[in-house]
Amino acid sequence: MKDIATIIFRLTISCLLAGLVMGAAFVFTNKAKLHNAEQREQQVMLGLLGYSAAAPAPETLALHPLHRYIVTSGETSAIGYLVPVKGREQAGAVFVEISLDGAFLGQQPVSLAAGQAAEAGARDAAIAAALGAGKSLRYADQTIIVTEAGKRRAYLLSGEFPGFKTFIDVVLALDPAFTVLGLEIMEHEEDPGLGGEIVQGYFKNQFQGKTFEALKKLGVVKTPLPEEYRRALEPAKGGEAISPEEIARVQALYQDKDIYALTGATISSRAVTSGVKAIAGKFAYRLAILDKVLAEQHIAVPF
Amino acid sequence: MATDKTNLQLVVNGILNENPIFRLVLSMCPAVGISTTVMNGFMLGIAVLFVQVFSSCTIAIFKNKIHPRIRIPTYTLTIATWVTVIDMVLAAYLPEAYARMGIFVKLIVAFAIITMRLEMFACKESVTASFWDGIGMGLGFMFGMMALGFVRELLGLGTILGYDVLGFKPLLFFVLPFAGFFCVGLMMGFFNWIELRYKRAKQGA
Repeated sequence: MKDIATIIFRLTISCLLAGLVMGAAFVFTNKAKLHNAEQREQQVMLGLLGYSAAAPAPETLALHPLHRYIVTSGETSAIGYLVPVKGREQAGAVFVEISLDGAFLGQQPVSLAAGQAAEAGARDAAIAAALGAGKSLRYADQTIIVTEAGKRRAYLLSGEFPGFKTFIDVVLALDPAFTVLGLEIMEHEEDPGLGGEIVQGYFKNQFQGKTFEALKKLGVVKTPLPEEYRRALEPAKGGEAISPEEIARVQALYQDKDIYALTGATISSRAVTSGVKAIAGKFAYRLAILDKVLAEQHIAVPF
Repeated sequence: MATDKTNLQLVVNGILNENPIFRLVLSMCPAVGISTTVMNGFMLGIAVLFVQVFSSCTIAIFKNKIHPRIRIPTYTLTIATWVTVIDMVLAAYLPEAYARMGIFVKLIVAFAIITMRLEMFACKESVTASFWDGIGMGLGFMFGMMALGFVRELLGLGTILGYDVLGFKPLLFFVLPFAGFFCVGLMMGFFNWIELRYKRAKQGA
């Protein structure tokens, strides 16, 4: 009996100590971690659009976040979009509800203070207040619509799908015709050296330039990656420099080809390919419905 | 029971006599799966070094308070705590390094070498001795991983640290997981052969 008490007591103390250490580490590091992640995301997004420190983005470039929610009232669910309003992006937004088969259900103005739209907690509370009681709200995802001088330039889609081990977080950039501009892997836990190679240019850059039509029937092949294609996919690596014209020529050559799988990581390669296809396909479908509703209801948006 | 070795001997012991990969044959999963390049081996080695030192010291400090029947849960808890803390600290303050090391750090929770060192060494010895033993084991593991990575990267990809050395790929299968077993076996034999030669030379003299 005495042993039971000692064991329970000591294990409890150990767990409490471990919890204390981990909790303290979390409190001290979380802010810096979030800050890093946010900065990286900004960098990645501009990088996917082709901007860097050397080639900064023009002043007229604007990023408009579009938040998607799932609204449930009783038995029926609907999709809700938080859409910024043209002319007063900083202050207000409209929450547009669309039924699952694409019909317009209603719109509510949502009052958001400056910067509140970026904070998940404040944003959810503001929308819930605008919707009123009886409806429950669940956050789905966020899309960023990039405009340059008022015209749509690109879509930045954050998405997540299961990989070989856990979820893979990606940002996918599409142009207005849904052709892939670029793919960036944000977070993954694939095996280092095998599935982990999805972050390498010679894999992820294969998606660049795939049109929406090509994407629909995109597959994965297990043949070796041709050397000239690898050089064009990773121009920064390797000895001799290749001209942009040469890269464009090789890219065009392989544009309609399937994705070349990574050696020893077919499952990861397939997971990324089908994930990208799903993200792009669903987004194109949803955007068409949203655009139709916005046009029918004469809701002025900045994108 | 205290060890009679000096601190330097403890470190050397971890690298040579009791090398985690080639002598103790522990932590074979990372040795086979991840040692595909020198850089991978180095990254994992650094991460293991830190976790091993921190866990060894923690257990050495609290060794009299750990109930002998519940050693294993306590060890696991200790290792998991340090892995989590190191993961969080790296992510917050060294984002550049974390981008490359992040996937390695989380794997360490399940490494046999760390639990085994806590069980065999840290729970009997002083904090100082455990610290140096941890350093030795960490360096030994790093050495083993880098040696494996060197062979596999050179033979499989024809590169060293990402630089193209050979200009062609001699045997691609060396980077695949199963070749890890060949590599570990061959190198284990190689090191045993050197030791044997060394002993014979000593006897002959």
